[in-house]
Amino acid sequence: MSIRIALAGNPNAGKTTLYNALTGSNQFVGNWPGVTVEKKEGRLKQNKDITVMDLPGIYSLSPYSPEEVITRNYLMTEQPDVILNIIDGTNLERNLYLTTQLLELGIPVVLAINMMDAVEKQGDRIDVTKLGERLGVEVVVMSALKGDGVAEAAEKAIEAAARGEKASARSCFNGAVEHALAHIEERLLHDMPEQKQRFYAIKLFERDPKVLEELRLSKEDREHIEYDIKLCEAELDDDAEAIIIGQRYQYIESIIDLCCTRRMKRGLSTSQKIDQVVTHRFLALPIFAAIMFLVYFISVTTVGGWVTGWANDGLFGNGYFLFGHGSEAYAEASESYDLAKMKADAFLNAAEQAGVKVDALRTGEATPAEQAEFLTEAAGIQKEVQLIGAEGKVVYQGEVDINDYFAAQGLSDPDPNTYGKWIPGLPVLLASGLEKANVAPWLQGLILNGMVAGVGAVLSFVPQMLVLFFFLAFLEACGYMSRIAFILDQVFRRFGLSGKSFIPMLVSTGCGVPGIMASRTIESPRDRRMTVMTTTFIPCSAKLPIIALIAGAFFGGAWWVAPSAYFMGIAAVMMSGVILKKTKMFAGEEAPFVMELPLYHMPTAKNLLNSVSERGWSFIKKAGTIILLASIFIWFTSNFGWVNGTFGMLEQNEIAFSVIAKVGGAISWLFTPLGFGNWQAAVATVLGLLAKEGVVSTMGVLYGMNDGGYHVLASALSVGAAYAFMAFNLLCAPCFAAMAAIRQEMNSARWFWFAIGYQSVFAYVVALMIYQFWKLASGGGVGPFTIAALIAALALLALLFRPGSDAKKKVQKEAERVLS
Amino acid sequence: MLGLLLENIGTIVIGLFVLLLAAFAARSVYRNKKKGGCLGGCAGCKSASCCESKK
Repeated sequence: MSIRIALAGNPNAGKTTLYNALTGSNQFVGNWPGVTVEKKEGRLKQNKDITVMDLPGIYSLSPYSPEEVITRNYLMTEQPDVILNIIDGTNLERNLYLTTQLLELGIPVVLAINMMDAVEKQGDRIDVTKLGERLGVEVVVMSALKGDGVAEAAEKAIEAAARGEKASARSCFNGAVEHALAHIEERLLHDMPEQKQRFYAIKLFERDPKVLEELRLSKEDREHIEYDIKLCEAELDDDAEAIIIGQRYQYIESIIDLCCTRRMKRGLSTSQKIDQVVTHRFLALPIFAAIMFLVYFISVTTVGGWVTGWANDGLFGNGYFLFGHGSEAYAEASESYDLAKMKADAFLNAAEQAGVKVDALRTGEATPAEQAEFLTEAAGIQKEVQLIGAEGKVVYQGEVDINDYFAAQGLSDPDPNTYGKWIPGLPVLLASGLEKANVAPWLQGLILNGMVAGVGAVLSFVPQMLVLFFFLAFLEACGYMSRIAFILDQVFRRFGLSGKSFIPMLVSTGCGVPGIMASRTIESPRDRRMTVMTTTFIPCSAKLPIIALIAGAFFGGAWWVAPSAYFMGIAAVMMSGVILKKTKMFAGEEAPFVMELPLYHMPTAKNLLNSVSERGWSFIKKAGTIILLASIFIWFTSNFGWVNGTFGMLEQNEIAFSVIAKVGGAISWLFTPLGFGNWQAAVATVLGLLAKEGVVSTMGVLYGMNDGGYHVLASALSVGAAYAFMAFNLLCAPCFAAMAAIRQEMNSARWFWFAIGYQSVFAYVVALMIYQFWKLASGGGVGPFTIAALIAALALLALLFRPGSDAKKKVQKEAERVLS
Repeated sequence: MLGLLLENIGTIVIGLFVLLLAAFAARSVYRNKKKGGCLGGCAGCKSASCCESKK
């Protein structure tokens, strides 16, 4: 028998936690509105014939917000077999309001009181039997987070659906209201199924615009019910909607007095005490900044950085020592060997400059006579040198002479196996295997320099991602993220954004696509459009490898790079808010922001690990699919091209003739003012539109990062250009998937292209200013692009500080006129 | 002919493996696109069922 169970309740009541427990799904549980923006459907684990529908959290069945409309429409049109109404046991007054409305729908209802552990901890008691009798429904108690009572809730729901009995609740309303409702039912709704009449009658009494539109009443009918409503309003001296609300709450109060026993509360709860600090008027923002700094510092620079370093240099590099034993001794021996070789080479260079023949000695093919001649001629040569190592640091400054040449003779590259248990890296093992299998060199190149370099470059950042995901999941699950939305609401208002706009941005730290879709909860179309346009300025998880790559290759893994990228995104959002709000397109009053702050609670390890593993697996899966394909594409287009008019496979030093170099070269001039006007960076930026991780995998293939080293990349761009490159890729148009989401949410080609154009131009201007001002500050002189950057900066300031649109003033004037 | 084949057996086998891998990757991307409009699972994408919502 197929049964449909609908989960309905207030936001944060535990519907999605229950849904996950019932269906085995791993839907995200967040602590702010908009996480579930649409209904989600799954099958019950134990019985695939039973469908469970997770509806958006709502406070009532009024028609004012998209979530309410979605839930209401679903319940009225789809008519599930049973509603499992989840209520938060610690806040019955607010939660039971929706319950009273659900009981009027004519659908069987089972009430599930969640968070009973929190109720007991507070010392309160709920008489479940009495509550059930008063409401006329089955009541179960549960703690969805711990899994207690979940199976029972499902069982009761299935039984209620099988019986098909609707609730036999007592009326909430007094005689005057019931009288009016009866008239409405009799006059207008007798043709409607009986179970729906009550709900529609109440909605008509409240003058619900959606219902009025749906029923298309004649003028005569509307006047008739208006007469009944006005009579009631006059008798009770209030408007119809307020009467209904007031009487519902009176009814709820009477139930709570009968069924609940509260412990006398003294002082503030733990959540309130914590909120006194984290939402403090002056401390809130610094605390938020400190927490986010710590999160990114630990993820990118320390813990995550260490593991990524191992993954880059070890697993996807030359190799690593098991448990690190022997790594220090080997590093020392390696450094000594490298230094000896560098000194010997420096001496040979000095000898060559002095006119001594050294070619044969360099190749190791010198005859005894040539060696003797060299020793005689070079014996007295000495030169002051400065030797720079692979990481760009000075490793030796001093004299080199013939003794340095002798010292290097007979030395061999230290064998890591003599220092400890050495595990060769994946590329080394693969290369060895491919050699033994006699695989053709071009195929070896495709695998090692294409697939492994590209995918490895992205996968090596998985440790940092996992650490970051862990912290973000913790902050979300414990309830702190909703406080951030509340804290930043005050800040965002000053920049023309609604506090609700920050919630999609928080979601965007995982992925821009659900972040963009979460903007549906914003009622004002103007605020919604602005949020859609700016939400992708916040770095998503796909952009994290770009940040980590730039931080590692150009800034030595400096602690400030990752937090600066994050705050650059926030600054971009704020600046865009100010600029756009002053235009006629976006001017207007900000919408009010009302949000429930859930209680703090310690997230369970299981939920945290689920969240981290789900996100991590998605990241790895993406690397194994789209990134793999992109890497193969990049390898082919960078290893095939035209030389002397003939198309074919290129030599290692002929990459400038490749297909990709030609294409990249055609557009690289666009990025010259930003400091990264080379074809490699241009190609990486364009391929980043496919998936932002593609920027890193492309760099990995084109700059030969299959040995785990950044040295080639580090020499390709200056520090200022690298930061500008990062800024451009973080702020410009997002990936194709996010663009598709923007197109869908904007519902207009014009607005879509405006959004993409705005993001791209904004990113260009910011990157231009970063590079040109860095160049100016580092003594690079003033050029035409520097002037352009100055003009851009002045224009930006002008847009930020110019007076706003007249729309706001007009609204204020109109309001004053009406009030007077 | 057989000799040529045997001589390059390593290249042929590994080449076929790479082709298979690429084909699976392409199939996965195509299926994701068909299901929900994304080219691949983004970390955090599943959190708001963006793919399912576009059915």
